[in-house]
Amino acid sequence: MILKLAWRNIWRNKRRTLVVLISIIVSVVVLMLLDTLSIGMLKQMLDNQISLHISHIQIHKNGYKDDKTVKNYISDELTVEKTIKEIEEVKSYSKRVISYGLINSAYNSSGIIIVGIQPDKEKSITIISNLIIEGKYIERNGEILISKKLAQKLKTEIGDKLVLMASDIDGNVASEVFRVVGIFESPHSEFDKTHIYITISDAQRMLKIDKIIEFALILKDQKYVNVVKEKISKKIGNPYEVLTYAEVVPFIGIIIDMYKQLIWIYYLIFGVAVVFGIINIMLMSVFERMREFGVLKAIGMKNKNIFSLIVLESFIIGVLGTVIGIIIGFALYIPLSKYGIDLGIFAESLAWFGSGRVIYPVLTWFTLFLLFVTMPFIAILGAIYPALKSTKFEPVEALKHI
Amino acid sequence: MKIITTENLTKIYTDGKVEVIALKNVNLEIHSGEFIVVAGPSGSGKTTLLNLIGGLDKPTDGKVYFEGKDITTIKRDELADLRLKKIGFIFQAYNLIPVLTVFENVEIPLVLLKVDEKRRREMVMEILTKLGISELANKRPNEISGGQQQRVAVARAIITNPTLVLADEPTAHLDSKTGGMLIDIMQKMNSERKITFVICSHDPQVIQRAGRLIRLRDGMIEDDKKLW
Repeated sequence: MILKLAWRNIWRNKRRTLVVLISIIVSVVVLMLLDTLSIGMLKQMLDNQISLHISHIQIHKNGYKDDKTVKNYISDELTVEKTIKEIEEVKSYSKRVISYGLINSAYNSSGIIIVGIQPDKEKSITIISNLIIEGKYIERNGEILISKKLAQKLKTEIGDKLVLMASDIDGNVASEVFRVVGIFESPHSEFDKTHIYITISDAQRMLKIDKIIEFALILKDQKYVNVVKEKISKKIGNPYEVLTYAEVVPFIGIIIDMYKQLIWIYYLIFGVAVVFGIINIMLMSVFERMREFGVLKAIGMKNKNIFSLIVLESFIIGVLGTVIGIIIGFALYIPLSKYGIDLGIFAESLAWFGSGRVIYPVLTWFTLFLLFVTMPFIAILGAIYPALKSTKFEPVEALKHI
Repeated sequence: MKIITTENLTKIYTDGKVEVIALKNVNLEIHSGEFIVVAGPSGSGKTTLLNLIGGLDKPTDGKVYFEGKDITTIKRDELADLRLKKIGFIFQAYNLIPVLTVFENVEIPLVLLKVDEKRRREMVMEILTKLGISELANKRPNEISGGQQQRVAVARAIITNPTLVLADEPTAHLDSKTGGMLIDIMQKMNSERKITFVICSHDPQVIQRAGRLIRLRDGMIEDDKKLW
């Protein structure tokens, strides 16, 4: 009966209810798109970082993280490799030799990070081989892969020769000539400016080491990173540092944490806007029905029942708005998650963040939970003051109300 | 058996610095089964007396005892319980809940009493049939006449079989024929169900049906006569 009474009361003044309902629906839809797009952007940023270079787990000699020089090479590569092979959660791995250096063309030069890779194995670790926009992927010694941005800076084309310079293991300047065989373009502009690829044997020869600097691992699932890190650390011990992607690029973790706090502000802003709407209509409704409350009190309805009735009316509006909002939100989300949103006008900043210009929204259970809970909660919150007001009237005063 | 006893019941309304005495030292006893009409001109204190007896208002001074219990000092919720179980109200302006059907309006007190749904249906239909308005069960108050609305209000007041029904000018908005029919119904409920009625009215056809007539003037009892 109370539910029936609440439901019918809501529709007494359809226009007023619809205005609040629409404000809730719009809030839910906007929050859903905002939240899913932001999560999608962060996810793409992280995924791109992982698939572009970072991988899930990196293993180095202990201390490499703070001193990225060739002298910090992995001395017992076989033991580490044997350990990696024993861990079932590892999908694939690759070895790398990495060093800072300088790249020179006939026209220009640039500071870069030289990445010596095992071309075949690297294909299962990163997506670099899929990002070639001109030429081909490196296959043999003497070949170099550079980005479009760097090619533009160096005024270089496929087939041109470039000189790489770097300090070798003895501290001497080493230089070698490479032929450009491929040009790539990734979603991350800052990455593109700095990374070039040659074969691992070229890098070893140039830097005069027969060791490697890094193992890059891709796991069967990202969720295993901490388990695998622990397993490897336990087996290979102190001489090596085993880093998860979150430790390699901590700024992404910071951005994600910041976002998690920022989203509460979004919800708060929409919540405050809706709560005043709710207070407004519920107060109007309470004052209009004061006489009825007097009657209900006179026939024996207790204040707590009247309080519950008002809160229930508001809660129903909150739930109804949320459900409709989520249905509309889903209708927009499903195609957007499939085809993405091209945020071309922000392309430059998105490239800087490394998320790509087409963002695919991602809906998480937590977002869905927040969306389901927020507006009904706000509706209850907004109804408390009007509901309290309704309990303050003495029945005799309320009955006199016209 | 005494249902209501009032002791020096006084109600003074204050409007700024002006005090208006609505009721002054009213001493009254109401017994079970009585059919009382409280008559008097406008402003004589009829409605105030009814509100105080029904626990809808607090007196400035004096006491109201309901079945021996002082109801001027009990808590709001206890008063609500008392009204729900023992007192029925009929108002001048019917005061039905517009969004509920006739059936649902009559059903409210039973819902509050947590009577199960099947029993509620039986009780409501029985009373609606008795009052000749069963065919209106699914109509909303705005779809029926004033007389029919007041009969629904009577049904709502007596559905819980209360000890006392308080009616404030129940015929004021009705034509004389409909008003007469309503008094018939109330008198029938009084004799059949032994419900005590206290009716405030200055309608002559109500006054002439009184079993006991109390005349109020300027907040005081001018006359109190048992007629049958």
